[in-house]
Amino acid sequence: MINIVIVTHGDLGDALIRATEMIAGPSEGLCAVSLMPGESPEGFGDKLAAALQPIEGQETILLIDLFGGTPYNVAARQLLKENVECLTGVNLPMLLELVMARDNAASLAELAESITQKGQESIRNLGPMLGRKRSNESVSA
Amino acid sequence: MSVIEELGLVRIDDRLIHGQVIAVWCKHQPFTRIVILDDGVAADQFMQDVLRLSAPPGLQVEVFSIAEGIKVLSQDTPARRTTMVLLKSPLAAKRLYEGGLKYNALNIGGIGHAPGRKNIFKNISASAEEIVILKELLKQGVKITLLTVPGEKSQAFSDLAGRL
Repeated sequence: MINIVIVTHGDLGDALIRATEMIAGPSEGLCAVSLMPGESPEGFGDKLAAALQPIEGQETILLIDLFGGTPYNVAARQLLKENVECLTGVNLPMLLELVMARDNAASLAELAESITQKGQESIRNLGPMLGRKRSNESVSA
Repeated sequence: MSVIEELGLVRIDDRLIHGQVIAVWCKHQPFTRIVILDDGVAADQFMQDVLRLSAPPGLQVEVFSIAEGIKVLSQDTPARRTTMVLLKSPLAAKRLYEGGLKYNALNIGGIGHAPGRKNIFKNISASAEEIVILKELLKQGVKITLLTVPGEKSQAFSDLAGRL
């Protein structure tokens, strides 16, 4: 099974896991590593290393919250390992899709690419898509 | 002696470049160049790529060891006023100063908590040794300000030093 490690500011990763399990049920091979306020990058790096140690060598996808943030700066180094992919901008649709698709993936690289697309496709500005309908309804209401 | 007061900003932040904070600074000051002075990152090409990849567009990112950086920054370059120098620790700031790069002002933007360090202001922690270093710089006339990003509450180290 492909492991999923969510690397974020604060408790975002834990909250994403709870939300995912609410929809898809309990899931294995899924954990979060949180950068807490005032924590040094080195301390955070040690925490990430400790979380990755038990799954060393196994296929793993790191889901990072913010491109350019400290979790990114610290976690991107994991790409130097084989069998690791790193994606930024983690959102619930990405995590859900990953939990459901990881067992059927042709390759880790392909999975990483399709999850990235899934995340991008999930972001919609609903106003222009539903705006006309909404104004019609408010007129008739 | 080089005209170091013309450097845009000399900053301690152990996170180095982290996108949003650099972006906020750039709105307040027209930076064109970030110079990271850190022996570890200077020897780590992959980390340099990671930092460059996420740097805001239009910003040139250069990385040197502290010794190399002193040489490079002591030469007169047109971009000096728009250069942000990033350091990881008070020790790096001390090495820079004692190496001949005499800056007048030092910004402390972030030093994370670690064993031996205590919190001194917001997201800034320092060890006893680091506090001694900062007090020495203060005595030499360096204006030290603790400030994460412009617009937030800042703290003059001189007002804090007596209590540390």
